[in-house]
Amino acid sequence: MSSNEIETYVHQLINPATRENALLELSKKRENFPELAPYLWYSFGTIAALLQEIVSIYPLLSPPALTAHASNRVCNALALLQCVASHPETRGLFLQAHVPLFLYPFLNTVSKTRPFEYLRLTSLGVIGALVKERMPQAGHRVCGAMAEIALLHGGRTTLGVDDTDVINFLLSTEIIPLCLRTMEMGSELSKTVATFIVQKILLDDVGLNYICATAERFFAVGAVLGNMVVMLAEQPSPRLLKHIIRCYLRLSDNPRAREALRQCLPELLRNPGFTACLKSDDTTRRWLAQLLVNVGFPEAAAQLSNEMLQPTPLQGQ
Amino acid sequence: MATADPNLFAKLHNFVVINPSLAGLAERLQLKRLVPVAVDRAIVEIMPPVVERSVTIACMTAYEMVTKDYAVDPDENRLRSAAHLMVSSLAGSLALVTCKEPLRVSLANQLHALLSGQMEAHVLEGALQVLVNDNLELGCSIIERAATDKAVRDIDKSLAAAYEARGNARARGQPFYERALYAQSQQGRFPAALPESLKPKPGLPQQQRVYEDFARMPRALPPHPLNASFRPDGAPPASPLQQPQDGSAVQVPDK
Repeated sequence: MSSNEIETYVHQLINPATRENALLELSKKRENFPELAPYLWYSFGTIAALLQEIVSIYPLLSPPALTAHASNRVCNALALLQCVASHPETRGLFLQAHVPLFLYPFLNTVSKTRPFEYLRLTSLGVIGALVKERMPQAGHRVCGAMAEIALLHGGRTTLGVDDTDVINFLLSTEIIPLCLRTMEMGSELSKTVATFIVQKILLDDVGLNYICATAERFFAVGAVLGNMVVMLAEQPSPRLLKHIIRCYLRLSDNPRAREALRQCLPELLRNPGFTACLKSDDTTRRWLAQLLVNVGFPEAAAQLSNEMLQPTPLQGQ
Repeated sequence: MATADPNLFAKLHNFVVINPSLAGLAERLQLKRLVPVAVDRAIVEIMPPVVERSVTIACMTAYEMVTKDYAVDPDENRLRSAAHLMVSSLAGSLALVTCKEPLRVSLANQLHALLSGQMEAHVLEGALQVLVNDNLELGCSIIERAATDKAVRDIDKSLAAAYEARGNARARGQPFYERALYAQSQQGRFPAALPESLKPKPGLPQQQRVYEDFARMPRALPPHPLNASFRPDGAPPASPLQQPQDGSAVQVPDK
């Protein structure tokens, strides 16, 4: 798509009569035009128009009345916001304007119908785009459009706003309970994206300290991770397991959490039958072995890794 | 602090709905007297945190949007009008989507506390459901209204300096537009690098319309008698956002 076409479609976003088609065209081609995010942000009224798309479906959330058409339309608007969230020139402005908070009501919905599932997944994609590095890789695409949106825009460096700023924003706006809710009741893909977001939060010292600051927070996260492991015994998903293990491993860096995990780490993680699915994933197998060493199961760890692992140093309070 | 209308309680008496199907119970249970009490208590419980949060978020978002979109606009009336339109819509929408379920629970609890013990449990449950469904939107519209009112007051405080800067520039005969444009060009590539059609043009009707659309958006609730009495100005007014249609819209108005 040429720069002229992009300009035309962006211009059409502020007019309700031309908006729907422009949303569709831009969301299809957003990856091919690196300047799209600053165009969306700085052009007159465009973000205001995208916010109208978002709040206009609030009345359809409860009682649940979201149609496939309305869901697709707002998800196209969210895909454009995802560009803004992941672009280094606009991410800080996007956070400063608190735009992500307008997506939180979507994450609070419970309907399991496809329009709602798609809406939650796309909203998580926007949040996921705020935390840098790559989004989870889809092994296979159950649903092309859904996976595509969740997996967009990884790996760009951040300028102007650093990771800790993003983590502080997410923590102060209470994203964790919303992620936990999705990890409990979402589809496999939503669970994976939500777990990825929690993982990114934990990897920052601020995030680890926050979650381990009270027993209540730690056990809320621990219980949800544990339930997902149990569920994976029936419906395996190596990519989800990978993020769960990384979350546990990071939690084990905290002294009190390491102590608690000795008691509450799911036994399945020490079961060679269960962890056999990691055979071809050296990184995750090593993470699991390190986790088991940290919390005091060296024999189980030895079955996963030939290396002699030492417990990692403890961090934080 | 979210301030409810001081006459709210008197109004509640006029607007609570007692379904005709409850006629048999209404008198015995003094529903006309007790339902307004329950609605009032539920609102008092739910409203302050909902309004506080919705208004804070809406103000931060609207502030960033209008100061960006109206950065070079020398007319503080357009800035103020756009800010009011946007912040009312955002705050009202957020308040509604946030308050509905908690208010439903609270209203049921309040009614239960006031009415339990006076009849068999299953009769009470049925009556509660009817009363909650019939009066939930009344409570929602009161909370929505409190959020939009506070949001408009708060955004004016945030934008006071921006309004004043425009007034001062005009009083001194200084060119606000050029200065703002120059200040922007020092900040970074954008918005200077935007194509012309996407750059903010003070007073251009096609652009202003997007802010006016906030007033045209259907709110969550169907028309309610209380809402109607609160909003005599329901229809969007002739817009102060736009310049007079004399063909000079794109011209820099500040000379």
